[in-house]
Amino acid sequence: MDLSILEQLMTFITLPFQSFLTIEILLIFIILLIFLLYNEKRKNNKVKIAIIALIIFFFSLLVFYFFDDIVTVLSEIIKTIMRCFYFPNIVFYNLTAIISLVILIYTILKNNLTKLNKIITYILTLIHLYLFTNFISLAITNNTSLTDIANIYQHDNMFIIVLFSQIIFIILILYKVIYHFCYIRHSKLKNTK
Amino acid sequence: MWLENQKMQRKSKNIKSQLPKVGFLFLIVGILIFISTPLKKLKGEVFEEMRLAIFQLNINETNNTTINNVNTENLEVTSENTTEAEENDKKANYSYIGELSIPKIKLRRGFVSKESRYNNIEYNITIAQEANYPDVPLGNFILMAHSGNAYISFFDKLYKLQIGDEASVSYNANTYNYRLTNIYNQAKTGTVAIYRNPNMKTLTLITCTHNDDYNQTIYIFEEI
Repeated sequence: MDLSILEQLMTFITLPFQSFLTIEILLIFIILLIFLLYNEKRKNNKVKIAIIALIIFFFSLLVFYFFDDIVTVLSEIIKTIMRCFYFPNIVFYNLTAIISLVILIYTILKNNLTKLNKIITYILTLIHLYLFTNFISLAITNNTSLTDIANIYQHDNMFIIVLFSQIIFIILILYKVIYHFCYIRHSKLKNTK
Repeated sequence: MWLENQKMQRKSKNIKSQLPKVGFLFLIVGILIFISTPLKKLKGEVFEEMRLAIFQLNINETNNTTINNVNTENLEVTSENTTEAEENDKKANYSYIGELSIPKIKLRRGFVSKESRYNNIEYNITIAQEANYPDVPLGNFILMAHSGNAYISFFDKLYKLQIGDEASVSYNANTYNYRLTNIYNQAKTGTVAIYRNPNMKTLTLITCTHNDDYNQTIYIFEEI
């Protein structure tokens, strides 16, 4: 951790040559890269399929040998997502409020959005921001320290506010993503016509 | 005839074009059903972490209050605080009164008071009504929970324990350490006989025997 930039670079360069396994892994990836680059010239479909099969085989081997570790890692990832959803820390919660605010301002300023899209965005962002403001005012009235998340979520009303605002935020993001996906597809179709 | 044939062909084409979508929907539903139990278990673990964090926070607050009381010797404040704490306890009947920890199997789980309606095998590891609390001298603290694959199988890894393994119970801002001294099985008859040394304070854990539908396993720990 306390290495200089030069030492960090040296460690990074010598890392693949530390054991036979690391050299082997490096070689596999180099061969894959060469195949992919070469096939960009040849554009052979058989090679494409063979490389995909090889990659799947390689990662299946990894899954086979490190199944328990992979399950643990996946569980931890899902648990982290759940923690962010059910019990977000104050930094993450503030970030969602900022994103919501940016979306609201963008929607107000943008003129070429449909009316329905604007109305839905206004409703969702304002509910989210209203809940966020409520959360802050509750924290002030309860004299709750926001640095410790256990301190926040021992109050049922604060937990409920955060939970509902997270649900609203997810709906907002999903709506925006789906809308943009459909919008891009629609405009592409229009262009091709 | 020709028109009818065309209509039939269109219909079958439509059905064929819908088949991948229906298949995809079934696949999604199948995956959701398949992962629902592990997800529930993970959600339970996340909530458990938070409950334990709140339990630890409350213990710290209790400790701080005690230190303050000793320092200030303000009896009026103490009685008010106690009444307030009791009222809070009545309101939040899911708040933990203690925690069981077995480092070997990475088990950390809180338990509620015997009187709480959440002292139930479907919600938590459960204190038997016949049990003594850990602070009772020479008492036997008895805990029960499911084993298996369900998300409420809190004792699913107890079968990995061996004689000599350690466990600890936090209760009333004190930690009681125990060592496993005996493991035995009994048939599931609705009751269980506990064989323990009456001259020692013990912790008893009861769960279903691993991969066996007809027996239950009893783990006897003695205080170190």
